[in-house]
Amino acid sequence: MPTEVTSSLLRELQSIVGENRVRTDDDALVQYGKDWTSAYEPKPCAIIFPGCIEEVQAIVRLARREKLSIVPSGGRTGLSGGAVATRGELILALDRMNAIGDFNPVDRTVSCGAGVITEQLQQFAEQQGLFYPVDFASSGSSQIGGNISTNAGGIKVIRYGMTREWVAGLKVVTGTGELLDLNRGLVKNNAGYDLRQLVIGAEGTLGVVVEATMRLSRPPKELAVLVLGVPDMSAIMEVLSVYQGAMDLSAFEFFSELALQKVVEHQKLQRPFDTPTDYYALIEIEVSGEADMDTAMALFEQCVETGWVLDGVVSTSIAQAAALWRLREDISETISRWTPYKNDISTLISRVPAFLLEVEAVVNEQYPDFEIIWFGHIGDGNVHLNVLKPEHLSMDEFQLRCSEVSRWVFEIVQRFGGSIAAEHGVGLLKKDYLHYSRSELEVQIMRQIKQAFDPAGIMNPGKVFDQ
Amino acid sequence: MKVLVTVKRVVDYNVKVRAKADGSDVDLNNVKMAINPFCEIAVEEAVRLKEAGTATEVVVVSVGAKQCQEQIRTALALGADRGIHVETEGAVEPLVVAKLLKGVVEKEEPRLVILGKQSIDGDNNQTGQMLGALTNMPQGTFASEVAIDGDKVNVTREVDAGMQTISLNLPAIVTSDLRLNEPRYASLPNIMKAKKKPLDVFSPADLGVEVTSHITQLSVAPPAERQAGIIVESVEQLVDKLKNEAKVIS
Ligand SMILES: Cc1cc2nc3c(=O)[nH]c(=O)nc-3n(C[C@H](O)[C@H](O)[C@H](O)COP(=O)(O)OP(=O)(O)OC[C@H]3O[C@@H](n4cnc5c(N)ncnc54)[C@H](O)[C@@H]3O)c2cc1C
Repeated sequence: MPTEVTSSLLRELQSIVGENRVRTDDDALVQYGKDWTSAYEPKPCAIIFPGCIEEVQAIVRLARREKLSIVPSGGRTGLSGGAVATRGELILALDRMNAIGDFNPVDRTVSCGAGVITEQLQQFAEQQGLFYPVDFASSGSSQIGGNISTNAGGIKVIRYGMTREWVAGLKVVTGTGELLDLNRGLVKNNAGYDLRQLVIGAEGTLGVVVEATMRLSRPPKELAVLVLGVPDMSAIMEVLSVYQGAMDLSAFEFFSELALQKVVEHQKLQRPFDTPTDYYALIEIEVSGEADMDTAMALFEQCVETGWVLDGVVSTSIAQAAALWRLREDISETISRWTPYKNDISTLISRVPAFLLEVEAVVNEQYPDFEIIWFGHIGDGNVHLNVLKPEHLSMDEFQLRCSEVSRWVFEIVQRFGGSIAAEHGVGLLKKDYLHYSRSELEVQIMRQIKQAFDPAGIMNPGKVFDQ
Repeated sequence: MKVLVTVKRVVDYNVKVRAKADGSDVDLNNVKMAINPFCEIAVEEAVRLKEAGTATEVVVVSVGAKQCQEQIRTALALGADRGIHVETEGAVEPLVVAKLLKGVVEKEEPRLVILGKQSIDGDNNQTGQMLGALTNMPQGTFASEVAIDGDKVNVTREVDAGMQTISLNLPAIVTSDLRLNEPRYASLPNIMKAKKKPLDVFSPADLGVEVTSHITQLSVAPPAERQAGIIVESVEQLVDKLKNEAKVIS
């Protein structure tokens, strides 16, 4: 595949979107050619910025005729290389399709262009007295189209589920340039297969998400954040079950002492309390009255008596709640300076303690000289295991060593019936490991589905699986 | 040395407050309440003095309705030793609060009183100064540093032109500014212990104060809405608009 566009193709692309909406300058090629991963060298041929659905269709038809591959590109905050172009692909950036359209207060839905920033939707919902609950540290940059294509999870999944739960309707341009209008906002629609669900989480391999009808929710009342110091991983799960048994939690996150140390040092934050403990649980609860706080306190006492918790704090103001959240939410950004190797793995919640014990043992044995940062959405059975690159290792050496150890970790994941890609998707990063979580037959059917949506194989080829 | 520290229950400063439909007051229905941020800093300072061995006892006082015991309990969890609640009804203006505090000062005879420089609801910035006048104690307002030095306290103040350090004879009054310290979180074990700490309730009559009012609030209104921004086409247009419309350059 050519890594440069011919001038005649460039002219055709320009005739669709306008001259200055196709970029081929080096800055743009590097900027738009990659996401948050740093292991791949970006090499797109051009970036195109369509402004409406018809333009996207025209671009896809042209690409199909020219056998030019397309990488749909959102906020490029992805962590698996899904939006990376390494093989001369055309990047189709949805930045301009960022209008928030019809709001329907009865259905509590709003239509969004794919390029609407996640935070923009959150703010829109707030202005309507409603709430868009999917949230994570990158929501100031990620786009709704990207969230849908990765079925993003985040910090409130325990209560509100993944992005999938909030997609009421979807408009998708397939690999043939045709437009699908899926589900149209309906609550009930069992008239055949729900193709919408296939596109959600497809990482741009089935088509371009161009518009979505998103559901909104009632906003929570007052929220309180607790950070508890926990001596070991199995105690975290005991704390989870104690709290979950008695209250509705809107978040249950965890992080390790090393994660806390790095965040406190680099973001200039205050430690929650002085007692260092190996792990920390962050719990968010909705407080409707004094009774809720009393319950939370009683549970805390119970956890202290059993030795599952050593110390803890609770927010008494919104500012404190936000500051405590930063201890967890700033971890990704803080550790990015060590270009970490990220694992995003999950298992059934009931199997997390045994699972973590095994993963921890392997990691300690295999990476005795590496700094390991643990954090994640443990209430969903999802942990992010991050290995920091020691300065003396080159990127290649580091990647090599990490991918060796990954196999050990993924074997445990497989034995536990878990997932090697819990919420960040497969992209390029996890492609070689897909078989640890998916059977031959499953992958074969995935290929056939892709064939049906994208017969010419031009939609983000080489991501998730090889064609 | 005994330290008296004041806390006020106010709307959490991150809440976007709304005016009531009739414009008579701010709508406090179902709104998150918290300790006034400057009072939180005052409490932290008092607790630090105790931890440093300078203060022997920290007494926290709040004037207001029954619910402000919640904020007293928080202050007790942060490290204060005992609480005093002066129970009042409706809004009380700074002069009345200062008179009530004077009553508490006479009962408790603290060597140091720390208040917030102002509360974020009324924005009055009066109570500490009025208390100083009523009790005849020296005052160090807008403190960004407090150091006890024998029977004196040195207070570094944030003034318009920079910093000023003054020395006050104890007993004295200090009002805290934002940079005095960074308050800690309320620890859960301490919240539990705080439930058992003593909390006395007084009425204004107990302190010999008559609650009167000299101020009537006529109306409250939200700030003017900011106009949406526009994207200018060129630098020339920008300069033109700055000159002729915004009139910020000439
Ligand atoms: C600091 C940080 C914290 C994060 N925390 C979380 C977290 O808690 N939970 C979580 O799930 N993720 C998290 N992520 C990952 C990431 O933010 C999400 O996956 C997000 O949904 C990606 O959105 P995006 O718009 O940036 O997508 P991109 O990175 O641009 O793209 C992601 C994938 O979707 C495809 N795509 C993008 N837009 C479209 C479209 N319109 N049509 C078709 N395909 C498209 C791309 O080709 C690519 O395969 C985090 C990332 C960072 C940097």
